[in-house]
Amino acid sequence: MLVEFDLIQKAQQGDAGAFNQIVSAYRRRIMGTISHVIGRPEDVEDVAQEVFIRLYFSLGQLRTPEVFEPWLYRLTVNASYDYLRKSRRRVESRMADLSEQQVMMADAVAGSRAQTDETEKRRVRDTVQELLGTVSEEDRILLTLKEVEGLSLKELEKIYSVNENALKVRLFRARQRVLKKMKEVTGGSSGNAKQKEG
Amino acid sequence: MISNRAMEQGNSSERESRLDELFRAYRDACAIPEASPNFMPEIWARIEAREASTSWFGSVAKALVTAGLAASMILGMMVSSRNQSNAFFNATFVDAWSAEHVSTLEPLDIDRISYMEAQ
Repeated sequence: MLVEFDLIQKAQQGDAGAFNQIVSAYRRRIMGTISHVIGRPEDVEDVAQEVFIRLYFSLGQLRTPEVFEPWLYRLTVNASYDYLRKSRRRVESRMADLSEQQVMMADAVAGSRAQTDETEKRRVRDTVQELLGTVSEEDRILLTLKEVEGLSLKELEKIYSVNENALKVRLFRARQRVLKKMKEVTGGSSGNAKQKEG
Repeated sequence: MISNRAMEQGNSSERESRLDELFRAYRDACAIPEASPNFMPEIWARIEAREASTSWFGSVAKALVTAGLAASMILGMMVSSRNQSNAFFNATFVDAWSAEHVSTLEPLDIDRISYMEAQ
């Protein structure tokens, strides 16, 4: 835990300073998770604020210190889920514009190494976002927490309050769907190339 | 046939490792944005706004409950008075007539009755 339970208790009693300290301690971690899940840096701060507002209003329900972090993660998952659901249409339209954007960026990349790196990062982000777009919002978040955030199944079990086997099944199905999409987008061509080589 | 299956399995495991690689690259590509200096003040402003709207809704709900109670009391009184009127309308002619003329009726003369009984 990044904070002592005393601090949480103080915040529960309405100590604004204690609440500020909790936010400061977890802000970076929560923003990192949200950044990975939603993939839109410009909206990360807004979603993170929503997480901490939900924390403020539900802090009174917390009884044991052990569940604080999984609980905060659950708030993060819920806020990210709400964001993804609301912005689904917006994301779809962004994906439609992607090819045009990529072409414009490719034209613009004539200069520095930094620009090339940023273009490459953006390409990776867009590719993964597109692949994750093939699964539901819930599975997308679950897959991101496991594969990108690197959370263990035990940690996910605490966050989702479901048993490990159910999580494994869900993760496997989501991963298979992503792999299928990957095969459609890129895999087929490399496979054919290998066959030709063989 | 066997070689095709082996090739498919090979492609599948290759895709698996490529996906893992892609997820790793994605983690590095998603820079964690720095929070703006207004991060905390904005949180408090949003909390206060939400509390204000909650208390507004609370007072509206209280007002609605009070109005509902008052309306039900008024309705109850109306229904009970209507029941009383119903009793008047359901009464027979004799009941209504006697109720109306109860003050003009002759006083009951007990002595006269006992005199009549004796006869």
